Amino acid sequence: MASSGEKAGPRTAVEGGEGGGGSLPPGRGTTVGSHVLDKGAAALQALRPVRQMKQHACSFALYAHDLARQVEAHHYAARLNQDFLQCAVYDSPDSAARLVGVEYIVSDRIFETLPPEEQKLWHSHAYEIKSGLWTNPGVPEMLQRPELANLAKTYGKFWCTWQVDRGDRLPLGAPALMMSPQAVDLGKVRPELVRRRDEKLGISTEDLRESRVEMEEPEWINPNADYWKQHGKGFAVDAVPTEMKRTAPFP
Amino acid sequence: MSTRSSHAEVAVPGEPTQTGTALLETATGTIQGFAPINSIHQHLCAFHFYAHDMSRQVEAHHFCAHLNEDVRQCLIFDSPDASARLIGVEYIVTEPLFLALPDDEKPLWHSHEYEVRGGYLFLPGVPGPVERRDLEKVAKTYGKTIHFWQVDRGDALPLGIPQLMMALTRDGQLREDLAEDVEKRFGVSFEKERKNREYMSGPDPGIHPLANAAGKGLKTELRETELAPPASMSGVFV
Repeated sequence: MASSGEKAGPRTAVEGGEGGGGSLPPGRGTTVGSHVLDKGAAALQALRPVRQMKQHACSFALYAHDLARQVEAHHYAARLNQDFLQCAVYDSPDSAARLVGVEYIVSDRIFETLPPEEQKLWHSHAYEIKSGLWTNPGVPEMLQRPELANLAKTYGKFWCTWQVDRGDRLPLGAPALMMSPQAVDLGKVRPELVRRRDEKLGISTEDLRESRVEMEEPEWINPNADYWKQHGKGFAVDAVPTEMKRTAPFP
Repeated sequence: MSTRSSHAEVAVPGEPTQTGTALLETATGTIQGFAPINSIHQHLCAFHFYAHDMSRQVEAHHFCAHLNEDVRQCLIFDSPDASARLIGVEYIVTEPLFLALPDDEKPLWHSHEYEVRGGYLFLPGVPGPVERRDLEKVAKTYGKTIHFWQVDRGDALPLGIPQLMMALTRDGQLREDLAEDVEKRFGVSFEKERKNREYMSGPDPGIHPLANAAGKGLKTELRETELAPPASMSGVFV
């Protein structure tokens, strides 16, 4: 059974050792031929859905089954309407960044329409934004402010498909649910992760927090979100064998 | 020619984007860096079905980047349009990397040989000869696909838990109505393309028996877990 929880058993060449950051994916350097094919295809194909990703946000996420495991997450967000964003999430802002998952962001209005069982899989963004952990690199703070105030009232659902922080050289296991930083102990991000991020991006989370003190907070956060806070429980996903309903022979 | 799929009928709930927000995003879209997204160079259309239910099939538009010669990562949308919904991801690896995966991981991956040779996987807008130079490589790879948004059952939002997906492995699996719809909308013929791809081959030693859900099926389940207590954490926090 492949689970999003910790793996027991001997490690293989694909599972990494201890330590964060992970090692490079196995494989040969991209050949000139592949580059040429890529560029050629890109010239002919519009890639429209990807061109809609117009916001880059950097923040931190915690594994829902183990809040002590924390990662820096780079979100590339496309807006479908005023209440909904879809994000491709990477482990760095570089061209060789690994695609580690997908996050969906909805307004509080939309969140309130979700059934309670669904709401449990989501997390709130208010603390993350007010604390300065969430930032849009390269955008002057004042320009971001209106958007940040809106985002502070949203909820997110983040599935991680590649657990790079445990050293996986390829995406292994079932997807893991992620949670957001929160104001209580278990939800705090380790200082060295924040420091490393701040150095890389040339920013100060501390300064951002101070400048956001006056920012409007949501009056109320739905207690079904950030499920671990009220209930002390996390979530994990397991991939289990089953009989596939078939319409033709398989495989 | 409309490329809008039949899945796109249900609108995502919410108000239309406000002018101020749109303007801001035009600005951020220009000012900020998008390197990981800019690595995406290829649009590939294929079909997935749920690893627990072959009858539920989805047209999947992959937008792919090379991490290196042996590893690709793709964002999956339900259409090639600007309003497309991001429904999943796929990772694609060459055979040597697949073989090095732990045996309990291999079933989560699927082979590509059949859908490539069958003509069902294609690069919209790219001429055949160019497309084939890459697809002959893809035919030998394995993919891991996870969907988060079950658009085929009409979900207006990404509800529930991630779904493991599988790919076509033989004749008779693909729903004819889906196939015809895609052929019409993209002006392609799977049957014609099949002839052009006869020369291609799959993984040299054959498809690994553990791939494709080890020939059975897979489903995902959500489990509540106990949280580790905060005792292990100390020091000053943000």
